[in-house]
Amino acid sequence: MRSFSATRLILLMVMLIIFLVPLAAFGAASGTASDQVVDKDHPQDKMHQEETGRKLQSCLDCHKCKRPTRKDPCLVACPRYESHFFSQQQVEESPEIIIIDQLSELYGSVVFAHRLHAEMAEMAGGCETCHHYSEQSGVIPPCRECHDEERNVVDLSKPALKGAYHRQCMNCHLDWSHENACGFCHEQATDELSAVTPDTTDIVGIPHPIIAATPTYTYNTPHEDGPIVTFHHNDHVDMFGQKCVDCHRGDSCSRCHDADREEAKPLNHITSCCSCHGKRDCTFCHKDEAMPNFEHGLSTGWSLEPYHTGKDCTLCHGKPDSFRKPETTCTSCHIHWEDGAFNHAVTGLTLDDDHIDSDCVDCHVKLEFTITPTCDNCHDEPMLPEKIPGRLKLH
Amino acid sequence: MVSRRDFMKISGSVAGTAAASLAGVQTACASGHHLEPDRIGVLTDYTECIGCRRCEWACAQENGLPFGDLESCDDQSVFQEMRRPDERQYTVVNRYPAPEGSDKPLDVKVNCMHCEHPTCVSACIVGALKKDPMGPVTYDASACIGCRYCMVACPFQIPAYEYHDPLTPKVLKCTLCTERTLEENKMPACVEMCPKEALTFGRREDLLDLARDRIRRNPDRYLPHIFGEYDGGGTSWLMIADRDFTEVDLPELSDRSAAEITEGIQHGIFRGFTGPLMVFGLVSILGKSMGDQEGRLDQEGQRKEGDNE
Repeated sequence: MRSFSATRLILLMVMLIIFLVPLAAFGAASGTASDQVVDKDHPQDKMHQEETGRKLQSCLDCHKCKRPTRKDPCLVACPRYESHFFSQQQVEESPEIIIIDQLSELYGSVVFAHRLHAEMAEMAGGCETCHHYSEQSGVIPPCRECHDEERNVVDLSKPALKGAYHRQCMNCHLDWSHENACGFCHEQATDELSAVTPDTTDIVGIPHPIIAATPTYTYNTPHEDGPIVTFHHNDHVDMFGQKCVDCHRGDSCSRCHDADREEAKPLNHITSCCSCHGKRDCTFCHKDEAMPNFEHGLSTGWSLEPYHTGKDCTLCHGKPDSFRKPETTCTSCHIHWEDGAFNHAVTGLTLDDDHIDSDCVDCHVKLEFTITPTCDNCHDEPMLPEKIPGRLKLH
Repeated sequence: MVSRRDFMKISGSVAGTAAASLAGVQTACASGHHLEPDRIGVLTDYTECIGCRRCEWACAQENGLPFGDLESCDDQSVFQEMRRPDERQYTVVNRYPAPEGSDKPLDVKVNCMHCEHPTCVSACIVGALKKDPMGPVTYDASACIGCRYCMVACPFQIPAYEYHDPLTPKVLKCTLCTERTLEENKMPACVEMCPKEALTFGRREDLLDLARDRIRRNPDRYLPHIFGEYDGGGTSWLMIADRDFTEVDLPELSDRSAAEITEGIQHGIFRGFTGPLMVFGLVSILGKSMGDQEGRLDQEGQRKEGDNE
């Protein structure tokens, strides 16, 4: 028996040796190559220090390859990490709108409100916030001059144009709006939309994120004669078809985007309200109490029901800046109706052969179309057989 | 009984042979898994990823997988749960909540890592999965017998199985767009699509240089760890991030692939049939010596019995 246990022990040891030897061989340590410190006598180092006030840290700050030679110094074209920016351009001199459309394939072009962003960047650090390179003369080349449209799979250090643009935009935009939907900046390049030229005249040139504007503002003004001014903001947009820029023309971002204020400053009403409403008497806006939303029937006494709801105001009122009371007779707008061109079926009543030749005024007394005529206006006995109408009433 | 001298002799020779055979294992592995110095890879910079999920869309388009239209990528509700790539989606993006003191969540693209020494390839008993010397781990459906050992072996839990297909089920995973990358000289569909170049395609060596360079220049932005440089024996897909990779559910792996370890043991034992021969020899030696002993004992016993008589 003792000899068997010794056999087992030996076999166990053999197994242990077989398993333990490779396990003990683990642990390959490795390290990354250390960066070469810039030679003190390197001529560019002194120049760089004079220009930027910063000392070069590594050869790789300027050279792409590890062993630059005089023949092939493989210099980084537009260095990202060490800013080479000499431009003194003012925000006002910068382009207002830049249309980025070099890559529009899946998505449409982007209308980039450059000056608006430049204004914002002024707080953060000026042009250098985004532009990491300018020529010595101060000329800022466009991104596409260094960043190729095609990705380079050999020199990986420089992003291609698509990557460069998106890195530039998304880093701030994610911080700001926490949104990464493409449609935020891009027009969708569908057949329908690709033909549409983006409206660069609107408030920021791009679809501004939906602003949760208060539908109605009620201002308590120091105006003695009618202190309350009710401003239905959303009615102006939804009902009267006003665009942002119609009122917010030349508006500064800081009117809304100001850290010190929770609410935006009100617009100057002389320029914004009066540009449309003209110089009417003050009581048009200044009332003693808050006003309800505009409702055509209540406010003007002429209901839009049922045929005129949803119509563009300008159809009757002409230009949007002169919403004056038009003539209210049908034929003042529907001029062709006088020629018998009116299709009565649209009212829900199709005129039969006996009535089709009647004049409007035959049924609609005094051409008062808001009152629905009844048969007994003309016919004494509406139940009479169709072929034998009753006696005509005399108007 | 085995004398002390016998034991020393036997164990010494066993250890010697074992060491010799294991030394052979290392060279066998190195030559058995030839990798081109120009092999390809992808570097994912987690700090650049914005979770737009366009890579998922591009992958589906390239591989003919079901996916909604481009705008369906904007659906952020998928981030409510952690997803894994499956047979209908070879890559997914998961969102990890922002750590304390930050409001930036981390978006993490998950796909086959195309290991340098893949355990799935090692586990595949029919050679349906292969490591291409140029980087990708390729799959040959015609060879696959559906044993799914690869799915068990993968430390990243990547290979997925077409359970819904009873007749010709396949194991599916990211292909590193082999056709595009190795034949058409293009980059993988997801890399090409990525708007922020959070994904970079290139030679693995160049990508490592790029990753080291980024870490060197932005020590505040990255942790000094390139996942996949050594992890699990190295991977073709490399990652850099601003936090520990275990926080985004990547496994902690040794610098040697599990495949290398197990293959080392198995191939070592059976190399030149030395192991089995050794064990066989050992057993016969023991058997012989025990037989001698037993014979001696028997003789002694018989003698004692004779004396008693």
